[in-house]
Amino acid sequence: MAILELSGITKRFGGLTAVNDVTFNVEEGEIFGLIGPNGAGKTTLLSCLAGDLRPNAGTVRFDGRDTTGLAADRMCRLGLGRTFQIPRPFPHLSVLENVLVAATFGDPDLHGEAIARRATEMLEYVTFPRSPATLASHLNAAQLKRLDLARALASHPKLLLLDELAAGLTPGELADMAALLRRIRDNGVTILMVEHVMRLILELCDRLSVLQYGELIAHGDAATVAADERVREAYLGQNYIL
Amino acid sequence: MLVRHRRRIALLGVLVVALVLPYIPPFTGEDYRRWLVGAAFMAAQAVAFDFTAGYINIVNFGFAAFVGLGAYTSGILAVDFGISPWIGMVAGGTVSGFVGLLTGALTLRLRGIYAAVMAWFVGLALMGLIRNVPDITRGSLGLAVPSLLESSENLPYYYVIMAMLIVTFAVLAWVIRSRYGLAFRAIGQNLAAARASGINPTRYLVINFVLSCAFAGWIGGFYAHYYGILTPDVMLTSHTVEVLAIAYIGGRGSLWGAAVIAFPLSIGVEFLKVQFSTLPGVHLVLYGLLLIVVMIYKPGGFAAVVRGLESWLIRSRPGDTATEAPPAS
Ligand SMILES: Nc1ncnc2c1ncn2[C@@H]1O[C@H](COP(=O)(O)OP(=O)(O)OP(=O)(O)O)[C@@H](O)[C@H]1O
Ligand SMILES: [Mg+2]
Repeated sequence: MAILELSGITKRFGGLTAVNDVTFNVEEGEIFGLIGPNGAGKTTLLSCLAGDLRPNAGTVRFDGRDTTGLAADRMCRLGLGRTFQIPRPFPHLSVLENVLVAATFGDPDLHGEAIARRATEMLEYVTFPRSPATLASHLNAAQLKRLDLARALASHPKLLLLDELAAGLTPGELADMAALLRRIRDNGVTILMVEHVMRLILELCDRLSVLQYGELIAHGDAATVAADERVREAYLGQNYIL
Repeated sequence: MLVRHRRRIALLGVLVVALVLPYIPPFTGEDYRRWLVGAAFMAAQAVAFDFTAGYINIVNFGFAAFVGLGAYTSGILAVDFGISPWIGMVAGGTVSGFVGLLTGALTLRLRGIYAAVMAWFVGLALMGLIRNVPDITRGSLGLAVPSLLESSENLPYYYVIMAMLIVTFAVLAWVIRSRYGLAFRAIGQNLAAARASGINPTRYLVINFVLSCAFAGWIGGFYAHYYGILTPDVMLTSHTVEVLAIAYIGGRGSLWGAAVIAFPLSIGVEFLKVQFSTLPGVHLVLYGLLLIVVMIYKPGGFAAVVRGLESWLIRSRPGDTATEAPPAS
């Protein structure tokens, strides 16, 4: 069953069409990859799904209902979690409080002491390396990404949108991240991930879509996409190994 | 836990000092006691102001107008309808809160500086309104308002405004510690992340704004029945700026910082006004300079200085359970 159905999503910024008539489904329980060169419109598409941007045309169905144009906070409470390409922490809150925000407001089913418990659990779940009392403004980039992930998980999402979560990780950290994402999926969370690190994509994703200049140019399992002539052209001259 | 506990004791100590201050020379004199009343009045306003500026990160440039609206509401109710100032003050808070609701619904969908400017316009419009209905407000001639207490001495007024300061502080600090406070801080620090965490910003922004305006109106009611005469000047933006300066010097996002620093600042300013009576507005220059110094050297203000001292004390006492100091609350 499809947990997310996009049809004809179009988003324009003035004269620029950042996302053009994109249609695909994400099936429940899969890890779905969205790739494409810089500026292809990946982040814009995620923002249209998450309610941060309103698409100019097209519809989004999430978890069986039409959610086109719903605000981001509604989407979160409906079960859509999201991390940002550039992490967006609450800088003057502690690590624990950062996650507590999402546990408090993102999951309508959570009450009382279960909220704090959820926040603590999520930090353990992502194996957060520093004290929960640390101020978020004292974290480095990799730690901020992990915090962003813990925050997104704390609202107990059915679908997780990840925007270049693995950017800048060392090979060792990459392996950890792959294991973590697989565990998240095995716990029943569907994942839609935007990623430039092809190793991670090929290792994790059941299916892929490729975006270029806002349009979907290829779609299918990893082998099919990697063999696609247009994909090879789109990536020509860039140092991605398919 | 320990840090919070210790801070609470320290705050109680400061409160006790403030309460006995009128019996300690030179504050036994009426003139000095008048300064004390003014200081507590500023402290209460700074707390209500910081509740908005320091948490949801929106500067209400119309703040003084909401204080004035409460003052005029209470004053007019007393003059024209013979209603007790005690009830009038609460009515003033209610009216200011209600106008705050309308203003908030209008402005808080905008962000940052736009919301601040809109609130400023609303404030200016309110002042214009008060000026232009002289039949009711007597405009610039001033509205004579019955006083709150029988006594004409400052001492009982001081304890009234101190009680109001304590109530304002206790209620707003309690809200800040609740889930509402968590939402306020999240929204103020990163709107997109707050949204992505399930917070409906407009709802919490409006709640915050209404509470701040309601307390401003209530405190304004005191002003009316203490000074006994009201002119539209009470709503001047320069009053907002004074409150802003105190709140920021006290430390944004620290209600107690604003409350405590208001006393030395406001009393110091009165002293300056006496010394430089030929230079009107010299106090605004002082506030401006202090504000610049704080912004450059200590953006966390007085509260950050206290927190720094606190962790230094803890570190220099081995054996004490030192934990990382919790963030502002
Ligand atoms: N808010 C905006 N206003 C105007 N143009 C925008 C806005 N956001 C994105 N764009 C433009 O839309 C296009 C798609 O941008 P987007 O960030 O979605 O690409 P991306 O695929 O995520 O790229 P990257 O891999 O670099 O993150 C780009 O040309 C970008 O400059
Ligand atoms: Mg992007």
